[in-house]
Amino acid sequence: MSERTRFTFRGKDPLYVFGIVFLVLLLLFAVFGPSARNAMVHPPNQANFFSVYDPVSGPHEAPGGKYLLGTDEQGRDVISRLAAGARISLIVGFVVEILALVVGVTVGVLAVYAPRWVSMVLMRFTDGMFAFPDILLAVLIIGTIPPTKMANLPMGKLLPVIIALSVTAWPSVARLVKAQVATLKDREFVIGAKASGASTFYIVTRHILPQLTGILLAVSMIDIAGTILAESTLSFLGIGVQAPEPSWGSMINSAREDMSSYPVGLVWPCLILSLTIFALNFVGDGLRAAVDPKNK
Amino acid sequence: MRLVKAILLRLLFGAFSLFFISFVTFVAGAFAPGDPATIIGGEKASQETIRVIRHNLGLDQPWPQRYVLYVEHAAHGDFGVSYYGTHEPVKDILARTVPMTVKLATQAMVLASAFGIVFGTLAAVYQRKFADKSILTLSTLGVTTPNFVLGPILVYIFCQRLDRLPLTWSTTLVAPEIVYFILPVTILAARPAALITRLTRASMIDTLDQEFIRTAVAKGVPRGRLLFRHALRNAILPVITTIGTSFGFLLTGSFVIERYFLMPGLGSAVIEGIQQTNMPVVQAGVFVTGAMFIFLNLVVDILLPVLDPRIRESQI
Repeated sequence: MSERTRFTFRGKDPLYVFGIVFLVLLLLFAVFGPSARNAMVHPPNQANFFSVYDPVSGPHEAPGGKYLLGTDEQGRDVISRLAAGARISLIVGFVVEILALVVGVTVGVLAVYAPRWVSMVLMRFTDGMFAFPDILLAVLIIGTIPPTKMANLPMGKLLPVIIALSVTAWPSVARLVKAQVATLKDREFVIGAKASGASTFYIVTRHILPQLTGILLAVSMIDIAGTILAESTLSFLGIGVQAPEPSWGSMINSAREDMSSYPVGLVWPCLILSLTIFALNFVGDGLRAAVDPKNK
Repeated sequence: MRLVKAILLRLLFGAFSLFFISFVTFVAGAFAPGDPATIIGGEKASQETIRVIRHNLGLDQPWPQRYVLYVEHAAHGDFGVSYYGTHEPVKDILARTVPMTVKLATQAMVLASAFGIVFGTLAAVYQRKFADKSILTLSTLGVTTPNFVLGPILVYIFCQRLDRLPLTWSTTLVAPEIVYFILPVTILAARPAALITRLTRASMIDTLDQEFIRTAVAKGVPRGRLLFRHALRNAILPVITTIGTSFGFLLTGSFVIERYFLMPGLGSAVIEGIQQTNMPVVQAGVFVTGAMFIFLNLVVDILLPVLDPRIRESQI
């Protein structure tokens, strides 16, 4: 058990390699895209009704030419919006996952090591959270948080979504961690550490949690995919990231409204969102296979 | 006796889940922006009127009493009145919208189960052959493609290119109702169908590997009978559990589909409620959706030991 799991490309599924490559490119796109020269010339939220107006397709400008991927229904540069949307999706995905991991790991560990009544309460609470299917709880929370109240805080336009999705994301982490910790608790190396006088805190942080990094990393990838999908769903429904901030979900929603005159507009946000979800799932599956003891 | 105890325990858990969602929706209502009394009474209402409304709504009581009141009302299907328009009782909104959502979700579930079980079995029988590989690839796509990405693609093909299906729901239907349901149900069913396919395949492969199947083959049981009576009956049990959990996805997925096809269902009502900060509608919608999910999973969990004598015996 002391040997560390290694993540290499050798003999790996081509889908896993594709996933890694795509995610690296996406990360670069999200980090540098919004500050690239193109985004300075054509800011993502700048409407432009007058540069071009075609009586058939409206204010859309076709891909190529001045705008690499064309413009949307308000004449805004699509690639700038995709980059800004990538940044938003990744920020929401990572922040939510970090919060979910912090809460989930804490609850999962406490459910094993805390006094019985504490763990009872925590686990029943976690079970209760599963009574809400899918993103239903997130919908409820967003209904409760007035978006205007948060608008002045940093990331104010993302905060309601982040809060709502974090609350829905932690229970599955807690369940997984609880199950893992419960089995590790009785392993020889933990009993050995205990016998040599290590404190529970030391055992958990130095012996047990390091064992979980592999599986948590794998699960995180799949959870981030779920979070990005949920954020896009909420934005598609018009209750996620507040306009005019671009989210892939709201871009899909506005593009489908004039699908009949300009179907190409749907391609870009749908493509980048689907590929991101694919890539995260492939990488998650690949990592899970790598940490699965059955494959050793 | 142990079986009865297990079922009772499961019922207790269902009741607990119901309590949990009622409590969470209650808390959400208490935190929501806006004072219900002021909204119902209107801006011009006098202090006295507002105090009367507050009293009638029970808002002047401490919160434990208010929670009990909320549950009592909810048990009678009473979720208060909508804050806007004609102050329509939320009960009537639910009566108007829930059937549409249930119809969508049920049809999608039937389609997804039928498709998933048939193709999952096929994939398992033709394991590692071309049919299996194509079914697996399709189901991987199905699991990861968001329904609001699949939606535009199908709408573009069938409504705009081929012009065969109606684009959106309309108040006066010009074709049989089923025509309007084809695309929404197909899009909604895609992901559960893919999940059920994968699970059926895995479960079937496990089952076909077992000794009683080898015995049946040796005894010369005909292929059809072997697959459907011997193997599938065993393999289908985990699939049934997944059908239960998929139902949650179908309910929230129908929020997206209803909005997409402008269908007047519960999802449309809830999303509209959020955009108007019309909390009673949101609360009721979330509560009813959660309750349906809990109920269906309860039915599945109680059904399993009835269907499977092995589970029954392990509990007796």
